[in-house]
Amino acid sequence: MKRLILVVLFMTVLSLIVPAKTTITLWHAMSGANLTALEAIVKDFNASQSEVEVVPVFTGTYAETLTKAIAAFRNNTHPHIVQVYEVGLQTMLDSGAIVPVFELAEPGFDWGDIVVPILNYYSVDGKLYSMPFNSSTAILYYNKDIFQKAGLDPNKPPTTFDEVFEYGKKIVESKAALGGIAFGWPAWVFEQMHALHAQFYANNENGRKAKASEVYFNKDFGVKVFSEWIRWAQSGVLVYGGREYNANNAFLAGQVAMLIQSTSSVGSIESKASFKVGTTFLPRIPGYPKGNSVIGGATLWVMKGKSKEEYKAVWEFLKFVAKPEVSQKWHKSTGYFPTSNSALKGLLDEGWFSVRPNHLTAFLQILSGINRPESQGVRLGNFVAIRDVVDSAFEKALQYKGPDIEKTAKAILDDAAKQCNQILKDYISLYGK
Amino acid sequence: MRAYKSQKIQVYTTLTILTLVVMFPIYYTFVMATLNSAQSYSYPPRFIPSSHLLENMKEAWRNAGMGRLMFNSAFSATIVAVAKICFSILAAFAFTYFGNFKGKYLFFGLILITHMLPLPVRLLPTYDMMKTFGWVNTYYALTVPFFASATGTLLFRQLFLTVPTSLADAARIDGAGPLRFLWHILVPLSKTNMGALFLIEFNYIWNEYLWPLIITTTKEMRVVQIGIKILLASEAQAADWNIIMAGTIMAMLPPLIMLLIFQKTFMEGFSMKEEK
Amino acid sequence: MNTKFPNRFMPYFLLLPSITVILIFFLIPTIRSIYQSFFRVSPFGDRRIFVGFGNFSRLFTSSAYVNSLVRTLIFAGSVVVIGLVFCVIVAALLNQRLRGMSIYRTFFIWTYAISPAIAGTVWALMFNPATGPVVYLIRLLTARTMNWMNDSNLALAIVIIAAVWKMMGYNVIFYLAGLQTVPDELLEAASIDGANGIKRFFKVTLPLLSPTTFFLLIMNMLYAFFEVFGLIDIMTKGGPGNATEILVYKLYRDGFIAIDIGFASAQSVVLFVFVTILTILQFKYTQQKVFYG
Repeated sequence: MKRLILVVLFMTVLSLIVPAKTTITLWHAMSGANLTALEAIVKDFNASQSEVEVVPVFTGTYAETLTKAIAAFRNNTHPHIVQVYEVGLQTMLDSGAIVPVFELAEPGFDWGDIVVPILNYYSVDGKLYSMPFNSSTAILYYNKDIFQKAGLDPNKPPTTFDEVFEYGKKIVESKAALGGIAFGWPAWVFEQMHALHAQFYANNENGRKAKASEVYFNKDFGVKVFSEWIRWAQSGVLVYGGREYNANNAFLAGQVAMLIQSTSSVGSIESKASFKVGTTFLPRIPGYPKGNSVIGGATLWVMKGKSKEEYKAVWEFLKFVAKPEVSQKWHKSTGYFPTSNSALKGLLDEGWFSVRPNHLTAFLQILSGINRPESQGVRLGNFVAIRDVVDSAFEKALQYKGPDIEKTAKAILDDAAKQCNQILKDYISLYGK
Repeated sequence: MRAYKSQKIQVYTTLTILTLVVMFPIYYTFVMATLNSAQSYSYPPRFIPSSHLLENMKEAWRNAGMGRLMFNSAFSATIVAVAKICFSILAAFAFTYFGNFKGKYLFFGLILITHMLPLPVRLLPTYDMMKTFGWVNTYYALTVPFFASATGTLLFRQLFLTVPTSLADAARIDGAGPLRFLWHILVPLSKTNMGALFLIEFNYIWNEYLWPLIITTTKEMRVVQIGIKILLASEAQAADWNIIMAGTIMAMLPPLIMLLIFQKTFMEGFSMKEEK
Repeated sequence: MNTKFPNRFMPYFLLLPSITVILIFFLIPTIRSIYQSFFRVSPFGDRRIFVGFGNFSRLFTSSAYVNSLVRTLIFAGSVVVIGLVFCVIVAALLNQRLRGMSIYRTFFIWTYAISPAIAGTVWALMFNPATGPVVYLIRLLTARTMNWMNDSNLALAIVIIAAVWKMMGYNVIFYLAGLQTVPDELLEAASIDGANGIKRFFKVTLPLLSPTTFFLLIMNMLYAFFEVFGLIDIMTKGGPGNATEILVYKLYRDGFIAIDIGFASAQSVVLFVFVTILTILQFKYTQQKVFYG
């Protein structure tokens, strides 16, 4: 009995001397190789100091993570940090549920080191609202072995829509693969196409000057892109592999030769593929002005309602994530952009890109594009719901088997636009212009 | 007699073919769970098991934190099943042994109305209610809202109605109170029903998906069904079907084993439920 | 009526637990669902606008919702018809007095223990466009490629197959139980008489099973309307192009992904009307039949 009392006493004293760790919860949507990479970063951070413990929780897809965080905020069970994809930007800004990182940061923190397109994307009036973490863009992956089998030059990937179609047909006809090309994130690729060809996706400069109230994707350009895709699908070149990352499976199993997907799959694809993987820029439609591909991926948002101490701990973690060496490690294992210029410079000096050229493609694409308002990325109210509508429209379009391709594309997009405009109208009625 | 024999063969053949068809998905699930990563991507697909079952199980167990998930599912399913039995046996007793007390039919109607209100009909407000109670991410949220059972109440009520009145009369003359009568006479009589109801409700909660999906957000509180979803989603970049299927097998085993062991109780319970 | 105990307050005391749960978790939330359906609410719940019947008029003018309604009816209808026809045949076969039937029985009833979500996972693999074995076998036999991701009818079909498969255990259990009430002599006669037996199955057994069939009809309807959520969420997420977006999935999408709470509440109310109709039907035709909840 005496012993027990002693033990209890000892423990009590111990707990007084050793400060309790501040626990920070991080909700994220990283899957596959990216999940492992994120957990490694968190582990490193936890090991690097003794005051803060970050607990990462995988909460499903991006959409699920965002909506769970919103629901959790309403009942006060929200995390400290939540990873929100670019689609959630407007929602988070209007939410009143966040602490902007520029307010959280210690004075004198060098924001200038962050890569400019990323900084721009998440800034409002020159102030950064969330911490850049995993930024990506879409690129074209292709299976060099299948190209060879089909009698194509494995070092000459397609650069235009027509070439994709032509190569794809060759691949299908020569039976080198079952299909030519598949997409991940179809609605996002559709947005990419608008930015790449300097076309607005919504009014008010893509919702960046004022809240968007009308989408533009059912105009000529959008109809053109959809028509091309329907044509590809009708001749078996485009094989739909599902929203988000599902299409990767068909690509990895060697059933399609090409894949339009986020750069964030470079890590997973390279580690799983049993064939030579090539990457290149997104295909273009000649005759339209040149824009740029758009930043996607996610940032880390800090949520309201926590203690001062906890915010200090949160900032420690965000600072850690922004470190060049962390950023480089993250890039190497996933394929996401390193977020700072110094990290990028380090990678170049190290010669990383000459060893792993597939990690470079996205950079070159962004650097060779022309930045203009059209390619700055879309900001829409309730974008989650809008993405959903466009994804469905894409899926409907691909099933069309008849000859009136343009007319059908237009009809499907008009119907989608009508739904989206309603969503925007509702959003504005709640939050004002 | 010969006609009878050919008839027999026909029955066996038909059943065997049908069995093969309906069991194929389960067989293939098992095969997939035994493959390594490269084999799981092979084309044409493999139909013969390989030898990696244990390591896949381990990987799924670790990756999804299966231990905790299984505990959460089993714990909440047991609590709900037991609570439902208790609540409904009490309610059934009230309806059968106390004459026409005031409000009897109103209460009876209230219990029946639970059938008309499946979760999706009241999803958002129930969710908000959990927030008011501070029950998000707790076992309370996973269990308490399921405690009422119209099925159970009706099941026990039917049983009690068949109990000879002489038993209750004797009890009353002996001066035994209603609770003693319930405990010493009715409960022992209800054992089969209780067993069947337990199995049904355990299975029901173990397999519930929508509610845990929205009401739990931490690793500690997730249940098995959500674990499978998380396993699928976390493999999104390039699905490891072998790992996912190993996890799936783990998630379906407990109710399956229960069903196989208690098959007879199940069938009896069900036939009672249905006949009345 | 049984003997009654004279205690006056005892019954209320006994009913208290059940009634409390029902009031708090069933009645109040339902009333609030109805109340919320008259508002438009912001995702974070910080703003709300009264819109009257606006959400309802939007529902029935929305092509997406009407599509969802149609899809649900096709889905539920198919699940019920295919499921019941298949299962009554299986149960009739299993009910023969032959050796080894209990083993066969086990094979057919065990999908009862499998959850919709797991059934969804299993069938997602079977029909995986890239490596699914069923897709492969069909290509081998017919040289046709099957990709449900760009074929709405196929997508709906595979979701129906998966849903029927999952419900098979339940249906077979009940049909077997129902068959026990059919007099043995009739069944034996049916099994001996060959072709005549099939005729008797239709003339004798099936009519005797009609209470079971009706009960299962309602249960399968409820299942197809509500419980298949997990199956859809894992297999198709309502796609492609909303082809498998049944009402309950749309409700979840609008309520928890798009976070349009008022609009989703209006959908809850519509679902409520559906179940009410089903329940009234049930009580009308089978006076005291117990069902699962």
